[in-house]
Amino acid sequence: RISVLHHSPSAHLPSRSGDPTPISRNLDPLSHPFAKARERARALNAAKLDRMFAKPFVGSLDGHIDGVYSLAKKPGILNLIASGAGDGGIIVHDLPTRTKLLRFPAAHKGVVSGLCFTEDGRLLSCGVDRLVKLWDAKTTSDGDGLLDDEDSRASREPLATFSGSTAFNAVDHHRSDQLFATGSNVVHIWDENKSSPISTLSFPTSTEGITALKFNWSESSVLATTGTDRTFTLYDIRTAKAERRLVLNFRCNALSWNPTFPTRILLASEDHNLYTFDIRNLSKPTAAYRGHVAAVMSCDWSPTGNEFASGGWDRTLRIWREQERTSRDIYHGKRMQRIFTTAYTNDSRFILTGSDDGNVRIWKAQASERLGVSHGRDVAARQYRNKLREQWKNDVEVGRINRRRYLPKSVYRAAQTKIEMVRARQDREGRLRESGAKEGDVKTEISKVVIQEQD
Amino acid sequence: MDALIEAGNKADRKRRRSYGPPKDSSVPQSRDSPLDYKGKGKETAKQPVKPAEETDAVVASISRNTTVPRTLSKLGSKTPKTEVKLENNKFTPWAFQHKLHHQARWREEAQEALEDVEILKTEERGVMAAEGLMERTFKMTQDDIVNSIGEEQRRYRKEWKLDGGAYRSRYSKNGRHIAIAGKRGHVASFDWLTGKMHCELELRETCRDITYLNDHSHFAVAQKQHVYIYDQQGIELHRLREHIDITRLEYLPYHWLLVSVGNPGVLRYHDTSIGRVVATHKTKLGACQSMAQNPHNAVIYLGHQNGTVTLWTPNLDEPAVKLLAHLGGVTSLGVDPSTSGRYLATSGMDGKVKVWDCRNWKGCVREWEQRGTGHAEVDWSQKGFLGVASGGTVNVYTPPSIITEHRGSPPLYLTHPIPHRPLISARFCPYTDMLTIGHANGLSSIIVPGAGEPTFDSSEVDPFESKKMRREREVHNLLDKIQPDLIALDPDFVGTVAEPEAQDEFADPLHVASHRLPRWEKLKRAGMPDPGMTSASANEAKKASRQGREDDDMEIGYSASDTSESEYEVDEVDNGGGGEAPVVRRKKKKSALKAYLKKAGGNVVDPTVARIKAKMEMRRKEIQLARIKERQAMVHREPSALDRFRRPPRL
Repeated sequence: RISVLHHSPSAHLPSRSGDPTPISRNLDPLSHPFAKARERARALNAAKLDRMFAKPFVGSLDGHIDGVYSLAKKPGILNLIASGAGDGGIIVHDLPTRTKLLRFPAAHKGVVSGLCFTEDGRLLSCGVDRLVKLWDAKTTSDGDGLLDDEDSRASREPLATFSGSTAFNAVDHHRSDQLFATGSNVVHIWDENKSSPISTLSFPTSTEGITALKFNWSESSVLATTGTDRTFTLYDIRTAKAERRLVLNFRCNALSWNPTFPTRILLASEDHNLYTFDIRNLSKPTAAYRGHVAAVMSCDWSPTGNEFASGGWDRTLRIWREQERTSRDIYHGKRMQRIFTTAYTNDSRFILTGSDDGNVRIWKAQASERLGVSHGRDVAARQYRNKLREQWKNDVEVGRINRRRYLPKSVYRAAQTKIEMVRARQDREGRLRESGAKEGDVKTEISKVVIQEQD
Repeated sequence: MDALIEAGNKADRKRRRSYGPPKDSSVPQSRDSPLDYKGKGKETAKQPVKPAEETDAVVASISRNTTVPRTLSKLGSKTPKTEVKLENNKFTPWAFQHKLHHQARWREEAQEALEDVEILKTEERGVMAAEGLMERTFKMTQDDIVNSIGEEQRRYRKEWKLDGGAYRSRYSKNGRHIAIAGKRGHVASFDWLTGKMHCELELRETCRDITYLNDHSHFAVAQKQHVYIYDQQGIELHRLREHIDITRLEYLPYHWLLVSVGNPGVLRYHDTSIGRVVATHKTKLGACQSMAQNPHNAVIYLGHQNGTVTLWTPNLDEPAVKLLAHLGGVTSLGVDPSTSGRYLATSGMDGKVKVWDCRNWKGCVREWEQRGTGHAEVDWSQKGFLGVASGGTVNVYTPPSIITEHRGSPPLYLTHPIPHRPLISARFCPYTDMLTIGHANGLSSIIVPGAGEPTFDSSEVDPFESKKMRREREVHNLLDKIQPDLIALDPDFVGTVAEPEAQDEFADPLHVASHRLPRWEKLKRAGMPDPGMTSASANEAKKASRQGREDDDMEIGYSASDTSESEYEVDEVDNGGGGEAPVVRRKKKKSALKAYLKKAGGNVVDPTVARIKAKMEMRRKEIQLARIKERQAMVHREPSALDRFRRPPRL
């Protein structure tokens, strides 16, 4: 009995010209020698390509004379962003065209310290001139077409003005009701239709100045504030009293509620770190995010709730994944100054920063993402490359390329110094403990953050 | 329709609920929705799932033709059959356990999918089997075989009558093209299936070997002086001047390395993608006439004149393995590709053919006398057939008997006489049942049923590829080029966890601040168990370490009877089976007195030494007593203000 292997060409060649060539598969590992080594080579190439295409800066929105200290994004809309500057001007930008849709040149005297959109598209701003103003921020005259008359844009008057006794630092609108909260030295709750605050919230022993203030997204009556006396306070506006207060080791400059996980909150601290807390258990942070070399001035969650961006006094923007200790990416620019406000766009593809130099900058959330329409095969290839990079991230070379970022010299040096200082301190503590001079349990760095929890 | 969406949502919710660490697989999963997936798609097709409510006609009508997207079904609530269980869950984060669970599941699914793929193998492997008791396969002549097979297959039997001297040949990786080089300088490259000639050259100088590079578009010829690279049209592209007097060439396709060895006995790796020699090794074993590559780890095997076989990688200056294989010179080598390079066949001037197991070099697996006299050439086919061309015949042996340990020659599978001596090359054609022998009168190819791999993978090699596919493959191969440094005897080391670095013996871990120590070291110091240990063994280890510390204390005083030499000793703690970590106990360095006593001692009982020993013994006991007293006093003493200056007690 004899038979001989024969590959008939008809089975392996396209039957007509233009047809795809039939492919055959043999998954026997013997016919795929060096599969792992070759995959590693591909992963290495993917990592290199990713760094090559990493051009995160998209563009900047100018128009302010002074630094930008507040940004507000409009819920449910991708293209609108409002920015408030140190000279009291407010501009509503259109992101795709990078044009100014609305301009309120002298909305406030002095810094516009807080800015937010209401659900129905009006704009609420507060300033150090002790005023809160409500603006009609409709960018279309009758629902379609832009307002093209320059004067009509400029000459808008506020719909309502609310005056307080001290300078306001923060404002946030209630999700559904016609209420908003402002932070000065106390927290005021205002009704849009009344000229004076309907309630005042403060913790009994507090002498704080509020630095940031945000309503929770799902429990809309819960309000979180951070204060200059190193506190973080949770209020319930229904009971009009503070539910819980934390005294931290440093003061916090900004806070942000996780949009998909209502109990999670992010604090940007003056001690160069960010912390996430679960508000059900405030005894210690769920994670600390270390990397900034100066105070963190602003933070914002991605709408997906998996990542967040933070901008700091060290002139860098960092992007973090939740529960990962080091930042995923660091952005910086030659001319970008200290970042005072950060916002993720609602499609989570871009990050906006407002900095001291008066520009609002647009960055890609994924540095090497390609903008514009891309072919399906291109998308597939990119997904494959990303997966490869992730799978081989523990390889020494791939990991090194993935992690390496070039930093401004000042930031790099500061980081080195910081590492050295922290290490020296830990060494010293370790020595003291070993010699018996220091007693008590070893406290992890993260459990040193919360000093006191008050009810 | 709403009902359908509701059902889908239910299924979704269920899926989300089921994200947890593996549950007991014996618990039956409730099936509350018609859209709940059911294992593989195949199964669902076979037995349509009963809708939850018979009345809902819409759901029933749609669900028959609807499946959950495959991407979603992957994340099912199925628990892996082999449950991932970690010792000591306390130390393993939940998310990590979750990940492991999914990995195990995916691995199983991939395995299942792999079984399905067998269907795709449509090609039938060739076969030659004896039917009667008295029939023998080796009695079949080539004419018999040709007469009993189809018209198409008959073309594999060929005789090329050429007069360029003895010929060496080489097939391209996909087995479609063959390059031949005659001793007197006749070089040709052609597509043997269609008979299309790519080029034919008369070089008018000695040609000793030929090899294709990445594919048939380039080939390299070892000529009298140097190695030359030609393209498909036969145009000389490069003269590699570094390679002098070369006898054998090999090409490592995944590393893009051209490897040469010659009469000077120098092995050179030439990177053809950058055009530079990346490694040069002096074998110091004289002229070399035989070379082979292991296709699965790219290690080069050389056979030398004195009968040794050496294994080489670019990053080692010396052979990775050196083996005395034959009593005469080694004439030919071959590595078995069907067992991922586990077996090596060698033939020597002593007239023997030997098969070696590359994992264990202690003696060969099987050896036998070659048939006929003269140089023998060996080659393995993809399916593990061994062809030996020696004297005036070609003999083919089949796998299981080649590597079973037995005396004498394995049973012959096939034999074919070729009267044109010498036979200087034997090559099996990949993906075809064909063996080509180069001899003084040209080349003959014979049919060896069952030698070739029936199914090729188009993503790796394709005998039927078009020009465009060839070009794309070349680019992709170049992008996936593996660095020469990664060649090692074990190719699977890529992607594995590196061995922990050897600890510095002289660094005392006690002087390193605790936060700088790795976690296991910290835990050890705190007397806590290693996370990898089971709780029982951890307790034992704890006990043992405590005991070890006590022992240390005991050894501080001098014990005269103790004359053990070792500085460190590894103490295997016996705790009734199970994997336990050995406890390393450290001993005090011997004192000068101890050394003196030992030197003075010997077998002689010296009264002085005896006196000193007795004195030391007493002193030791005193110290011990004092320490015990001190400890007792510590417990009962009134606290004093001066306690803060006390050193912490030794416990």
